[in-house]
Amino acid sequence: MAIDWRNYKPLLIPGIPNLHKIEVFEKNGGYEQLKKTLKSLTPEAVVNEVKAANIRGRGGAGFNAGLKWSFMPKPDGGPRYIAANGDESEPGTFKDRKIFEYNPHLFIEGAIIAGFAMHITAVYVYIRGEYKSWIDMMQKAIDDAYAKGYLGKNILGSGFDLDMYVHSGAGAYICGEESSLMESLEGKRGYPRVKPPFPAQKGLWGRPTTINNIETLANVPLVIKNGADWYKSIGAPTHPGPVLYGISGHVNRPGVYEYPTGMSIMELINDVCGGMRGGKKVKAVIPGGSSTPPLRGDQLEGVCMDADSLRTAGSMMGTAGMIVMDEDTDMVDALWRISHFYHHESCGQCTPCRDGTGFLEKTLIKIRDGEGEMRDLDLLLDLCTQMEGRTICALADAAAWPVRYTVTRFREDFEKRVKNTVFALA
Amino acid sequence: MPEIFIDNIRYEFEGKPLVLQFMLDNGLDHPFFCYHPSLSIPANCRQCYVEAGTPVWNRETNDYELNESGDRVIRFFPKLMTACSLEATDGMVIKTHRTSELVKRAHKDTLEFILVNHPLDCPICDQAGECPLQIQTYKYGPEGSRFEHKKVHKPKRIKLGPRVILDAERCINCTRCVRFTEEISKTHQLTIISRGDKNYPAVAPGTEFDDPYSLNTVDICPVGALTSADFRFKARVWEMNQTPGIDVTNGTGCNIDVWTRDNLVLRITPRYNAAVNDHWMPDFGREDIRRMNENRISKPELSLDGDRIKSSWNNAEITLWEKLKEFSPSEMLFAGSAFSSVEDNFVLKKHAKRIGAEKVYFTPFIKQGSGDGFLIDEDQYPNTQGCRLLGLKELSPADFKAKVSDSAVKLLVMLEDDLIGRGVLNTADLEGKFVVYMGSNHNATSAAATLVVPIANSVEQSCSFVNVKGRIQRTTAAKETIYTNRKLNLEMSVGRLDRYGTKFDNWVTDRNRIDCIPAWEYLERVAAQDDANFGYVSTRAIMAEIASTNARFTGVDYDRLDEEPGIPLISAEEVKTA
Amino acid sequence: MEMTYEFSKEDLAEIEKIKAKYPDKKSPVMPVLWLAQEKFGHVEPEVQQLVARTLDLPAAHVYGVVSFYTQYYGKKMGKYVLDVCTTTSCQLCGGYEILHYIEDKLGIKAGETTKDGLFSIQSVECLGACGYAPMMQITNGVYCNHLTKEKVDTIIDGLRAGRMPEFESIPMPQHLDESTNKIG
Repeated sequence: MAIDWRNYKPLLIPGIPNLHKIEVFEKNGGYEQLKKTLKSLTPEAVVNEVKAANIRGRGGAGFNAGLKWSFMPKPDGGPRYIAANGDESEPGTFKDRKIFEYNPHLFIEGAIIAGFAMHITAVYVYIRGEYKSWIDMMQKAIDDAYAKGYLGKNILGSGFDLDMYVHSGAGAYICGEESSLMESLEGKRGYPRVKPPFPAQKGLWGRPTTINNIETLANVPLVIKNGADWYKSIGAPTHPGPVLYGISGHVNRPGVYEYPTGMSIMELINDVCGGMRGGKKVKAVIPGGSSTPPLRGDQLEGVCMDADSLRTAGSMMGTAGMIVMDEDTDMVDALWRISHFYHHESCGQCTPCRDGTGFLEKTLIKIRDGEGEMRDLDLLLDLCTQMEGRTICALADAAAWPVRYTVTRFREDFEKRVKNTVFALA
Repeated sequence: MPEIFIDNIRYEFEGKPLVLQFMLDNGLDHPFFCYHPSLSIPANCRQCYVEAGTPVWNRETNDYELNESGDRVIRFFPKLMTACSLEATDGMVIKTHRTSELVKRAHKDTLEFILVNHPLDCPICDQAGECPLQIQTYKYGPEGSRFEHKKVHKPKRIKLGPRVILDAERCINCTRCVRFTEEISKTHQLTIISRGDKNYPAVAPGTEFDDPYSLNTVDICPVGALTSADFRFKARVWEMNQTPGIDVTNGTGCNIDVWTRDNLVLRITPRYNAAVNDHWMPDFGREDIRRMNENRISKPELSLDGDRIKSSWNNAEITLWEKLKEFSPSEMLFAGSAFSSVEDNFVLKKHAKRIGAEKVYFTPFIKQGSGDGFLIDEDQYPNTQGCRLLGLKELSPADFKAKVSDSAVKLLVMLEDDLIGRGVLNTADLEGKFVVYMGSNHNATSAAATLVVPIANSVEQSCSFVNVKGRIQRTTAAKETIYTNRKLNLEMSVGRLDRYGTKFDNWVTDRNRIDCIPAWEYLERVAAQDDANFGYVSTRAIMAEIASTNARFTGVDYDRLDEEPGIPLISAEEVKTA
Repeated sequence: MEMTYEFSKEDLAEIEKIKAKYPDKKSPVMPVLWLAQEKFGHVEPEVQQLVARTLDLPAAHVYGVVSFYTQYYGKKMGKYVLDVCTTTSCQLCGGYEILHYIEDKLGIKAGETTKDGLFSIQSVECLGACGYAPMMQITNGVYCNHLTKEKVDTIIDGLRAGRMPEFESIPMPQHLDESTNKIG
């Protein structure tokens, strides 16, 4: 199915100058969906509509946001929270900062609607500490929303109260994992929590909590405005809606683009991004952030950016942060760097991740430096098996997948490297 | 009753047990590191993996779904589960390493990862021989290493505090120590610092780990990362004998293990008793090894014309016997002691009565405000309640001093209690009196006594104590005196060195055997001069008599004390009014 | 020279505002560490203790938090900390060349500080500017994108003269009017 992307008008971040200013946002229909929600919708109706729209989480896991909302228990009068995940630390991902910069109020409006739907008392917007400039922008937008009565007590006379706070991270990839994010919000080392209990039962400060990605929440006003059916008609049927593609690497025009889901990867590279730098061939594409398995250039024909198509191709949608590598790329070096990242970012709580990420990296350094042997390739795959699914959170998987799929899909690069060594083949 | 199938064997369970704990309770060996029954469950070591499944419920038939062969259909969790954090549910099916290759492999995998950054310096590690990592590697670990790289280097020999030393390279990041300071001692002095494989436990810069319970972290450390500054490099654990005992440094009566080698107590560790001290004990209780080993009175001593001379036992016995003849009961004062055992106090009281003394006095040693509401009680002595229940006359320190210093008192017979050292009496109070002091250690009171009788302490004999909550508990002899022999006293533990060591090798000597006897035995021997002894042969027999003559001790006997976690003699309400 | 660290009345008022955002006393530790680092330039142990005292938290907890998050400076850093991103997209687009260029230019290695205390260099993990590689962040603040050797020279000369580069707003390419290169 081809998407008429050339005629697509961005919905999450329309090209309207100064849209980040609340007056401009209001002038362009901003906060109308909040008003509509508070005036004429019940919380259940909002949850059902969002569930029907099938907004699949844009943070990587791709879970139906409305369904997630429906896991929240009945209100008991105590506090309930949304933690909005703007940690955005997966290498290749740089999209939420566009929302903070160009359309923060769409996210705020979506978060307030979500808050209304789940009887939330406070929204904590967790933004990675490195995004200091964007944290300031977000804080300004929240302050403006308070000033206009969209946040605080008795929002727009509805009787609904909601607070929204920005919490700055301080440099830890793991805090993008939802339970680690909650630990960090609670002022602790970002160690992921054992589940169960799930956040909906026992989240922030032991209270029911839903964690949604920034972009996910920004989709909510679109659904409220146009309905679930309209939303589902955008992009890939099983993974619908607009999505922010962050494209980086060896393309001519890298950047963040908003198009429907289901865009063809080759079209994104060749047409949207103006092709490969220097007219080179595509060697590899990491479709959704560094933890998603890389696809070979010759595997890309007909592969689209949605969960189903990517699963069939042998990868995942992740954060839609696409990293494109050209034919000159040294895959051993590239994989080492990815492994270095996960080794550096492992929180150190679970054994297989704490010591496995280091084992992977050190083995890759050995191969990179020409000291590897054939058996090291098998060792790498074995170590992946020993890490996958064996830890509290998915960081070990995120570290293992790129290794497993780079080594298997680009095996000749690795074999070439080890064969050149002075060590005999095992 | 709900059931669970572990490796195809059916078990019944009550409540909501955790699978790991349930397996351990049922004697099923299973590897784990971070789990501790008294701490929160982080499930971080990832060692205790099992395959777990639950039966599928068919709503239509309202029964379990069955397959063609009539067995329940089991839906297994897609991933391996950590048994420590997995709650048993009715019908659950568990596969361990015994029946699952996947689990077996996972146990090996985790151990391989743990070991890549572990120094493997077992030959010089204090933990060797009692190291969960060592034993589990032996049982479940990989045969060799595939790790050909540099290990992560971290600080070694870090003095975290006065009593605890850290070797960060050995640490496997189980976080038990951190959780202990957060959840049990609540000093919050430890944290894990850094991230990933650079992680290790630390105190905040400029602070020290002086938690009064700090040494418990050494006990629960599953590797040799935390070691005791005191015990470090003192012994290989397999050379020592481990004997159950009671902490006598405080009224709580923590249950302990006394570790000896060649009749020296080398360390004390807490012994689990849910009703008293759980798995823990305060650090100062462990320092009691000094009192047990050092500054001991060995052989009786007598002050004669201003000289202190060593005396024979015969002379020590006859001397007191003569003094008991010389003075009338009204000129004598018998002082029991809340530091001494139930048996010693009982026998003292019984002989005093035989002689005609109306009462045996004692004065408790309470440090007001020194309790912490946890395991450190204000009561500095182990047997205050025991003295009360035996009917000794309790006096305040001031009244006790008045009583003793009364010039009418000519003979003072005292059980071990450093009354001068703890400020109840001063030397002048004892002037002009014949003072018989039965004690284990030299102190200010023994120095002021006329006749000093060396007695066996709580690790040199079996004896019992009643703690502040009215629970009676007993010790077992851990250390030989020159009159006892662990090969003849069948209750004493016999270790490897005792079995195979000889006087001619480096380890087994007679040097550390003290010339002392139990106080009750001394009193019996004194009475035997008149054939007026009661014929006690052991504290076990004495306790049998106490139990049959004192209603508060009904039903107490040594066998029961061994089988039960001590026996409560008085109720909580009674403790309050006592 | 022993330095004592204190929060001013204004800081304490700000800390009260931070505390009001959270329902318990542990949670404000990260924003208060940020506040302290902005004020003192680092969060060395003495500052950690100040934060612990101010928030009535165990000093060990604060230390554990500081050491977990890479942006907190547990020891003093140069006035300008050049965090050069070298993770995948930046690696592909010359992040290491930029890092090494800066190392050579300043005569120090990543992880070190120049003798004059002006610059520290760090090779850091993905900063979320993958499309604008290679790039760096200066002292936890402004992002400098699309780095070239020339651009690095300009930035470092500017910093030496006390000029912090300005924030670069990078619009989404599809919003740019091809003729004006502006949004709309």
